[in-house]
Amino acid sequence: MTAKGLARVQEIYQDRSRRAKELQSQGKKVIGYPCVYVPLELLTALDVIPYRIYGEMREPVTEADRVLPASFCPIMRSCLDCALKGKHNFLNGMVALHASDPQEKTARIWQSYTTLPYFHFIDMPGTVLPEAVTYFTSQLKGFVTTLESLAGRKLPADSLRKAIEAHNQQRTLVQSLFHLTESSPPLVSGTEIVQVVKAVMSLPVDEGNQLLTEVIDEVKERKDKPPSKRARLLLWGSTTDNADVMAVLESNACVVFAEDCGGYRPYRGSVKLTSEPLNALADYYLNEITCARTFRQTTTSATQKDYLKDLQSRYGYLKRIIADWKVDGVVLLLVRYCDPFAFEVPAVRDYLASISVPSTYIEYDYTEGSLAPMRTRIEAFLETIG
Amino acid sequence: MVEQTPLQKAYFAGIDIGSTMTKAVVIDAEGKMLSAIKGPTGPEHRHLANEVMKQALEQAKLKLEEIVYIIATGYGRFNVPFADEQVTELSCHARGVYSLFPGVRTAIDIGGQDAKCFKVNEGKLVDFIMNDKCAAGTGRFLELTASSLGIRLDDLGKLSLQATSPVEISNMCTIFAQQEVVMHLSQGVKIEDIIAGLHHALAERVAALARRLGIEPDVVLTGGVAKNIGMVQAMSQSLGCSLLVPEEPLLTGALGAALLAKDRVTKLVAQGKPLEARQRRLERATFYS
Repeated sequence: MTAKGLARVQEIYQDRSRRAKELQSQGKKVIGYPCVYVPLELLTALDVIPYRIYGEMREPVTEADRVLPASFCPIMRSCLDCALKGKHNFLNGMVALHASDPQEKTARIWQSYTTLPYFHFIDMPGTVLPEAVTYFTSQLKGFVTTLESLAGRKLPADSLRKAIEAHNQQRTLVQSLFHLTESSPPLVSGTEIVQVVKAVMSLPVDEGNQLLTEVIDEVKERKDKPPSKRARLLLWGSTTDNADVMAVLESNACVVFAEDCGGYRPYRGSVKLTSEPLNALADYYLNEITCARTFRQTTTSATQKDYLKDLQSRYGYLKRIIADWKVDGVVLLLVRYCDPFAFEVPAVRDYLASISVPSTYIEYDYTEGSLAPMRTRIEAFLETIG
Repeated sequence: MVEQTPLQKAYFAGIDIGSTMTKAVVIDAEGKMLSAIKGPTGPEHRHLANEVMKQALEQAKLKLEEIVYIIATGYGRFNVPFADEQVTELSCHARGVYSLFPGVRTAIDIGGQDAKCFKVNEGKLVDFIMNDKCAAGTGRFLELTASSLGIRLDDLGKLSLQATSPVEISNMCTIFAQQEVVMHLSQGVKIEDIIAGLHHALAERVAALARRLGIEPDVVLTGGVAKNIGMVQAMSQSLGCSLLVPEEPLLTGALGAALLAKDRVTKLVAQGKPLEARQRRLERATFYS
């Protein structure tokens, strides 16, 4: 391990599982998770390494066709396809949750068709009501119980506290990295950030923090800054897990903010350090991660809807980002069949229109072949705002 | 005689490499079309932009050095090594359509590989929507069904006008729609009625796309499909408004590219920049550079 900073990011991005496998050979256990709603603090506190499971856009889906319909989340299809091809066999287990129906259904099939020694499913509530936080907390208690038997020891309170601190530090570091795109030109490109986040999600938290610190120090001093381009864009979507997709969006623009799970979303805010850590984790993950799958309503008991007020409460946080990052336009990028996000698209666009920010909606099917049409759409959008 | 300024003597070109057809247009400083070339793109299209350009120059009786600025557009726009700039077909169509119909606000282009609807304001692209990666809603849909009916693509329009009771084609998947066609044929339905049904189904698909964007008159229809009179009527019926169709609906992209080239240079000259064409050679594009 000689490379540092962005060079090390490249290494990990090209061969994500290498470090996890090294750690396994030293006796560590590695648990896969397909969604950022899983409270990684619980794994870290028991010295279990969290390892984010991604789809592989360039790998044609063949095996998953046996068990999943074709008109189904292409990312989950790809994740399961890789699993069925044995690419995740090295894992000691997996934790999934009901982030969306495709993930829940896929998790069941995953469990049936693979032979991982450990599998845990968290039933994640779909709203942010106080009762939902209570229920989610109880689900996390159940998760701790199975994790403890996997790790062969009880969860010590002080290590959970330390784990929360370490993951909070990771959040702060990613937030700092994103602040380096506020300048024009940005000090770090959106394409690089996709790779950084993916690398960080393949490492234990301390190593991820070390890597983030190196990257931040490096890009602050760098001479080869990304060039200024014709527009500064905010990306809104579910997740961007392939730097090639971001590179297409960035061919003539700078994506200075990624409001998705391959960018800023999993790292917003921080977990409160309280005497009820499970409750604090439930509260954080349910409330702070602004995924479209969670239902949010301005006034929960309201029987009539004030649409503009509702838009403001759901997406108002974007206004500040758009101002601070000097965003010229917003790209809503979705993988086909992503129903939870697709349902949000008209509302997000209405909100953006209400604050006079141009936006465009691009859908792709998570294949290499979708990159050329994506390029035409993004360029045409730039031509409308340029 | 008044001496012409260099800009008044300048020529511009647009080249539009679509999935099915490659088009090139050369214009003079007034925006007058001096030549227009159309040819099948074919599997080799990415290499042949130079050939199409050569033909366009011959027809316009111009030398390559006399062309000040060239804009390439269409799916093959990155494979035109002698172009000065690449612009998407959406902006080029917007500009081209505006030059022909200054009142245009909505334009629909149905090409071989995709259908696009766009809003235009004073020749500038304002908003757009494109169909997804599927033959449904594109010219390919008609190409394939025409061939399965054993009819020339060019004859579809005329034949459809003789329909008396168009069939309902419920499936927009190109393959399934063909199965429906076969079923209707086996039931002895007149070919004219089947063709009219296909036109209606395609028109509905594209109209749904346009409605998502919002339809504002004047509405212009372009692309190869606009040459089919049956489709023009079906689109007009589905949209509930009349449609303007250019004489040469295939050329609006290339024409728009040439006009944008002229706009670019006019702006640069107004800013005091010298008018000169860069050194370029017409050669085959290579992917190994």
